[in-house]
Amino acid sequence: MKSIQRRLSLGLAGVLLAIGLVLAQGSLWLFDRSLRSYLQDGLQDETQTLLSALVRGPVGVQLDEQRLSAAFQRPYSGLYFRIDFAGQTWRSRSLWDRELSPMAEPGLQQALGEGPQGQLWLIYRADYQRFGQQITIHVARDYTPVLDSFRRVQRIVLGLGLAALVLILLFQRLIVSRSLRPLERVRQQIMQLQQGQRSQLDQQVPQELEPLVAQINHLLTHTEATLKRSRNALGNLGHALKTPLAVLVSLASREELRQLPELQASLHSQLQQIEQRVARELGRARLAGEALPGAHFDCAVELPELFATLRMIHGHHLQLDWRAAAGLRLPWDREDLLELLGNLLDNACKWADSQVRLELERVAAGYLIRIEDDGPGIDAEQREEVLDRGSRLDEQVAGHGLGLGIVRDIVDAWGGQLQLGESALGGLAVSIELPARSP
Amino acid sequence: MRLLLVEDHVPLADELVADLTRQGYAIDWLADGRDAAYQGASEPYDLIILDLGLPGKPGLQVLQEWRAGGVTTPVLILTARGSWAERIEGLKAGADDYLSKPFHPEELHLRIQALLRRAHGLANQPQLHAAGWQLDERQQCVSRGNQKIELTAAEFRLLRYFMLHVGQILSKSHLAEHLYDGESERDSNVIEVHVNHLRRKLGREVIETRRGQGYRFSGAVA
Repeated sequence: MKSIQRRLSLGLAGVLLAIGLVLAQGSLWLFDRSLRSYLQDGLQDETQTLLSALVRGPVGVQLDEQRLSAAFQRPYSGLYFRIDFAGQTWRSRSLWDRELSPMAEPGLQQALGEGPQGQLWLIYRADYQRFGQQITIHVARDYTPVLDSFRRVQRIVLGLGLAALVLILLFQRLIVSRSLRPLERVRQQIMQLQQGQRSQLDQQVPQELEPLVAQINHLLTHTEATLKRSRNALGNLGHALKTPLAVLVSLASREELRQLPELQASLHSQLQQIEQRVARELGRARLAGEALPGAHFDCAVELPELFATLRMIHGHHLQLDWRAAAGLRLPWDREDLLELLGNLLDNACKWADSQVRLELERVAAGYLIRIEDDGPGIDAEQREEVLDRGSRLDEQVAGHGLGLGIVRDIVDAWGGQLQLGESALGGLAVSIELPARSP
Repeated sequence: MRLLLVEDHVPLADELVADLTRQGYAIDWLADGRDAAYQGASEPYDLIILDLGLPGKPGLQVLQEWRAGGVTTPVLILTARGSWAERIEGLKAGADDYLSKPFHPEELHLRIQALLRRAHGLANQPQLHAAGWQLDERQQCVSRGNQKIELTAAEFRLLRYFMLHVGQILSKSHLAEHLYDGESERDSNVIEVHVNHLRRKLGREVIETRRGQGYRFSGAVA
């Protein structure tokens, strides 16, 4: 989609150009019209003067030279006449060796006649009755000076028009970019929303944008509320299922059942399957995934608490460190990320001898999370197997083998990559690449 | 060891009370958050097992009230809400450990043992070591070197309490408060009898009597 700015500029330039040309050309034409009709009056006067200069002399009708304008005497002066009278033709001296051809129609001629020295004539023909005779008088006037000045005016107007166009476009650009600034601000805020740097759009926007912004904010709140509600409902469901399960697990461990080891083993394994299934599915249902654009995880706020929790669970013999750039925020839901990091770090703590390290990094393609420990690690051949669904990474250490399953679910939901490798600390390194969320 | 169990699911509470009693703990059971908030702050418990989804008052709030009121008793949260975000919430409110349902009873025993040892500044080992004695809490017997001594349930309870409080003077009433639940008849003579049994089995100098003050476990062997 083209930018509004460009479209406005192109549209305005086109319209201005078209209207400007029509206006300039139209006004020139009108001017030409009125000038010609003004000149027509002058020419008509000339014919009347000529008519009145016709006098009856001693040798019949003759032209009284004294009453004629001097311009008729000077060759190519720009003013000419031709009088047709009783079979004879009188020409002004100014015509010199040129002929002023008679015109078919009386009045001002539409077409300009060609004259000497590149002159263009405006020709007027008048018919009179005098001395009982039909007298036709043609008067011509050179129109080229007017045309020249027209052309000059045309050039000036064109130059002025172009300058005005450039100026108008510059101002328009300024005005448009100024009035589009709120749009640009909203666009930036939506980007920030995607990157998890804000959770709502600013309400201080022009009237036109208000419904849009209000609707987006409403949707955000709504999604968040829905997520919270469904998480709460899942929590309740989990509670309702897991408490009786805890009773069953406890019952199955009773002294009386010790006498029937096969029955007890079978009960335990079935209960464990139910338990894993319930935990896994509830865990998956809890994921926010990509649903919340405003979600974010502030490393400096969340990680110290997570690490305090891990220290409390795993005792203080482990050295737990995390490293992240100051102010690093990951654009995903807080609970999802806590679940991801919690499970992986918990696993690392179970296996580590003395040290667990977490690194979070912003890279070009997105984010990189690395969790390392100095435990026994996993052989290269076994890593694939461990990554497969349902495989229990922590079989030998008390706890539930769900950690990696839910971690995979989360990473998959975000379109990320999970890899197992060898750590510089000597144990397992889990690296997760997460793509940046595109706006 | 006297424990408070706060759990509103009756069948689970019955199971836990029976199971933990077999492990030699004196258990008081409450199902309502408001009762728990009061009783947890007024009775001298050694450990509290707290469910979060309680009627009357939410478990997290109860815990916050205890901590705000200066109760330092270790608290183990037992809940079906096992997400990490909720775990962090629980530990932030002042819990010492977090166990999500469903759990294996064995796991619960281990967590309780570990919490009690941590609360008394002891390392978390499979057996309780104190003053040269080793207490096996699964077998409920005590050993020193190669010598292994079987204990009755009452003797085991008493010895475990002594071994977690080596060198401290413990009055009879203090012992009664911590060894019996709120329902039992507290007869200080019974404690005297069990102390004498322990002396007979472990040696006279193991527990000394401070006249007018109480008993002191030194673990000394003649």
